[in-house]
Amino acid sequence: MTFKDRSFCGTLGEPDEGRRVFLAGWVDALRDHGEVIFIHLRDRSGIVQVVFSPETADQEVCRKAGLLRSEFCVRVSGSLVRRAQGTENPGIPTGNVEVMAADLDILGRAGALPFQISEKSMVAGLAGNREESVAEDLRLQYRYLDLRRPTMQEHLINRHRIVKAVRDYLDEQGFIEVETPILTKSTPEGARDYLVPSRHYPKNFYALPQSPQLFKQLLMVAGLERYFQIARCFRDEDLRPNRQPEFTQLDLEASFIDEEFIYRLFEELTARIFSVGGVDLPRPFPRMTWLDAMNSTGSDRPDLRFSMFFRDATGIFSETRYGIFRQILDRGGCIKGINVKGQSARLSKNVLQNEYAKEIVPGFGAKGMTWMRAVNGGLESNIVQFFSKREQDEIVRLYEAEEGDVILIIADPSWKLVCSALGQLRLHVAGRLGLIPGNIFSPLWVTDFPLFEPVEGGVTSSHHPFTMPDRTDFDPGDIEELLSLRSRAYDLVVNGEELGGGSIRINDTALQNRIFKALGLSENEVEEKFGFFLRALEFGAPPHGGIALGIDRVVSMILGTSSIREVIAFPKNRSAFCPLTRAPSTVSAGQLAELELLDLGGAALLPGTKEQEDFLDSLSWVSRIRINGGERAAISEAVEAAKSCAAKINAAAGEEEPMFSVAPASNRTRPGNEARESRFAKEQDIFRNAPEVKGGFFKTASILE
Amino acid sequence: MELFTHRETDPAAVSGRPGLPLSGRRVVIQPNMSRRGWPCNAGSRALENYTALEDAAIIPRLEKSGAHLAGNSRMSELGFGLSADTTVQALIEKEADIALMTDTMGEARVAAARAGIFGFKPSWGIVSRFGLIGLVPSMECYGVAAADPADISGVMQAISGKDDRDFSMPDGELPDFSQEGKTKTGSRRAGIVKEMLSLLTDKDRGLFRENLKMLGSAGVEVVEVTFPEFELLQTAHQVIAAAEASSSAGKYDGVRYGYRAPGAKNWNDMYLDSRGAAFGTLVKAFLFQGAYFQFENYAAFENACRVRRRLVRSMENLLSELDLLVSPTCRMVRKDAAPSDVRGAYEEFILTLPANLTGQPALQVPGDPAGDCVGLHLTAKRLDDSRLLALGRRLAASRGAK
Repeated sequence: MTFKDRSFCGTLGEPDEGRRVFLAGWVDALRDHGEVIFIHLRDRSGIVQVVFSPETADQEVCRKAGLLRSEFCVRVSGSLVRRAQGTENPGIPTGNVEVMAADLDILGRAGALPFQISEKSMVAGLAGNREESVAEDLRLQYRYLDLRRPTMQEHLINRHRIVKAVRDYLDEQGFIEVETPILTKSTPEGARDYLVPSRHYPKNFYALPQSPQLFKQLLMVAGLERYFQIARCFRDEDLRPNRQPEFTQLDLEASFIDEEFIYRLFEELTARIFSVGGVDLPRPFPRMTWLDAMNSTGSDRPDLRFSMFFRDATGIFSETRYGIFRQILDRGGCIKGINVKGQSARLSKNVLQNEYAKEIVPGFGAKGMTWMRAVNGGLESNIVQFFSKREQDEIVRLYEAEEGDVILIIADPSWKLVCSALGQLRLHVAGRLGLIPGNIFSPLWVTDFPLFEPVEGGVTSSHHPFTMPDRTDFDPGDIEELLSLRSRAYDLVVNGEELGGGSIRINDTALQNRIFKALGLSENEVEEKFGFFLRALEFGAPPHGGIALGIDRVVSMILGTSSIREVIAFPKNRSAFCPLTRAPSTVSAGQLAELELLDLGGAALLPGTKEQEDFLDSLSWVSRIRINGGERAAISEAVEAAKSCAAKINAAAGEEEPMFSVAPASNRTRPGNEARESRFAKEQDIFRNAPEVKGGFFKTASILE
Repeated sequence: MELFTHRETDPAAVSGRPGLPLSGRRVVIQPNMSRRGWPCNAGSRALENYTALEDAAIIPRLEKSGAHLAGNSRMSELGFGLSADTTVQALIEKEADIALMTDTMGEARVAAARAGIFGFKPSWGIVSRFGLIGLVPSMECYGVAAADPADISGVMQAISGKDDRDFSMPDGELPDFSQEGKTKTGSRRAGIVKEMLSLLTDKDRGLFRENLKMLGSAGVEVVEVTFPEFELLQTAHQVIAAAEASSSAGKYDGVRYGYRAPGAKNWNDMYLDSRGAAFGTLVKAFLFQGAYFQFENYAAFENACRVRRRLVRSMENLLSELDLLVSPTCRMVRKDAAPSDVRGAYEEFILTLPANLTGQPALQVPGDPAGDCVGLHLTAKRLDDSRLLALGRRLAASRGAK
């Protein structure tokens, strides 16, 4: 048998009836009826049932068929027949036919499987028989088996189609794909770099790119005019459930363009890739300035699948006698609220007061929340008696309150805090009450971001320092003016998730230098970090701009998967670890010696250097011990001493098994097999030493700010 | 400074039970040894205002032997080092007869040496540590200091023994302290590690040689031996102890007990601020070393444990032909040179900490001058505690006779 005339399982059907077919694939499932053996044979195209029967196959073939187990790799030939009436399996597309095997080769045997791979029942009417609760780390450890599952193959195939749609469209539009280096210099995206030690330049490091930002701008200086890349980017950020240390982004840049070009190009592109997943995006995408987004949803990535937009009630209360509002307004604060339409019945007084006002909203950082229910043409609440008739009427009018509506209001001296807390509240209420429609996609451009954000003693770039400001006549020393600048940046948001973002860039050295000055970078720092780039701007750099799109995230959204790991062939787990290869791992002392990294910082103290500071801060973070003023030098010295100890011990390690105890205890269990509650817990004595207790629980700060 | 952080005032408790081995003996304990109802802050803000909910395993055992608990001394933070420790001072001031001290690097022995009395660290794993708030589980144990070595034997007889509540206790035979009075010490050979001598000044060495005469007159032969990796004992101790400390101090979260920093906005800040304020600079520096081994260089911790196995075996090999190793207990130092950093702390205990790493019993015997240190430090085979204490009694007797 050869593979020459191979047919594909999933493509077979009634037109092939009577044909002799040659198939190769894996045993998805099997049923042994003694004389007759049925298998589901699976290849990438799908599944077809193969029957081994003494009537059509000789004794030897039947004997071999008896050896088959799940996931054996086999080659089969036989004739395709229509299934007997009543034995069809509508659960698979080829369910009306089956292959009567004449020959069988076992190409590869499979051992015991760590989890079930088959997703299709062999019996009509039964749902897929896969257990859903396979631990993700186990799936990742045996990813090559996990990827045999049709669902996972479907994800990878669709990802391929989406990326291909991107390439095809951009090619049509005159973009060319250019690869930029992976071993490069630290770029200014602001996350931690992954570093790669250089053997030729001992104790010097390459950084893996956090994005191809500077290179793509250099390609514009180079006159490529329209560039794109499906680029791998690396960021050593804190762990989050849906974040990967390396990710793929569509990176794009074009010269002689403005925002409108990007919007048009990218709307078409986004629409095309969503259509791969059968999603029709409404166009043109609406646009919203950052300020409007904040004022109406409290978020720079508003979820527009539902309304419940903020309305500003500050004006209504300008004369109020309600003390709390009075004080807030006296301090220049604002009052905003939302109307939860018709949900009065589901938001009881208890829920509003004890859950939202007392627990949930303070968890969002606000001091409190005011609620009112529209009842009998008026308002009902625990504080409504403090509002004048006029104020009540105007609230009803402003929020267009109707019977059964609930109005939630947050007031605070800080506009930012009101927006952020009410924004979180908007999402919380909508999520809880099921007001967010599924299966719809609401794209949106958010524009006109602030160019800078305030930090202690200065400003930092909101986006990155190469973003073009809305005007160029600013004074780089005037912090107030800097904070009023808007950037020519834009984010593409879908369903409250930022899928991509970009900006028109600065192409003028003088302007770029003033931005660096505003950021408080010294000339030396600028030269060291960006000198090569500034030099390039001096050679006739064209006006240009671009955008980047997170491919993993967008594919995951289009395919509706539970995490981005479902659309990546070999992802790291939530802890940035690869259970398959067990990376990251230690390396041999030999490798480190070759890189001259064995004694890095061992003897030579590095106090005061930025690297050492960061290192102490990261130890402080993982051990959850704050370094207080004045302790830093002593701790730095202690950590350096620990490094020396480590170097000394590692050099003397030897090969013996570690001894963790000089006299190990044998395993023991407590007598009895019933769970017992400690008497200190039962009698609540454990609370006697607690710094803060509330209602039979230890009280802690909230998890999120 | 107050000697005690808590004193027993109940007259019934103060009298103790008559007619028992420790009747009339007053025991001072450190505030990391749980005594129901007594403050138990382990010398740390991390356990600020903590009151013990139940007795440590040793407490009823001491009481059954007739001893009475005089009170809680002051102790260094979490028993690491001796700064601010007053436990032995209570003996000097005749407020107690016996001191129980946490011995992680040699604290009980060095404190005893400075006071010119006996100090003992038993084999690791023969006394239940249930109720002892510790820092370095694989090394620390109850140490005992007393002027009379018979009191040490009495305490060991009372407190040693199996306890289901201490899961780290190994199986197997325990030393029999009840027969100790009758133990024939026989002729003994003691070894001096050559590499150890290089740590001493000429003055230390001179005082040590004087003290060695005690052994000679007790019929113990002294020979010089070599332990090429002697220096690694300290390094291995430090790496392992720091890593274990970082791990076991993880429980101080400011939630169930101890200090809670006010005003934290979220959970992480609460931990960072509370723990940042809970630990003093010395312990904090030590915990950062441990964090480095735990999170950044775990291989070094494992390697230190590999080295530990080799060092334990070297020690066993040495003691296969000897009964004891002998050294000074502590070098002469300037009186007020309190160690302020981890390096200094380790320097102070460099002669006593090997026994903590290897789990062997060790006894400080007062020599001349009594106090200000040097002393005589005897280390025996693991579980040979009883014979070691018997020798201690003989040396005490011959000192008394002198």
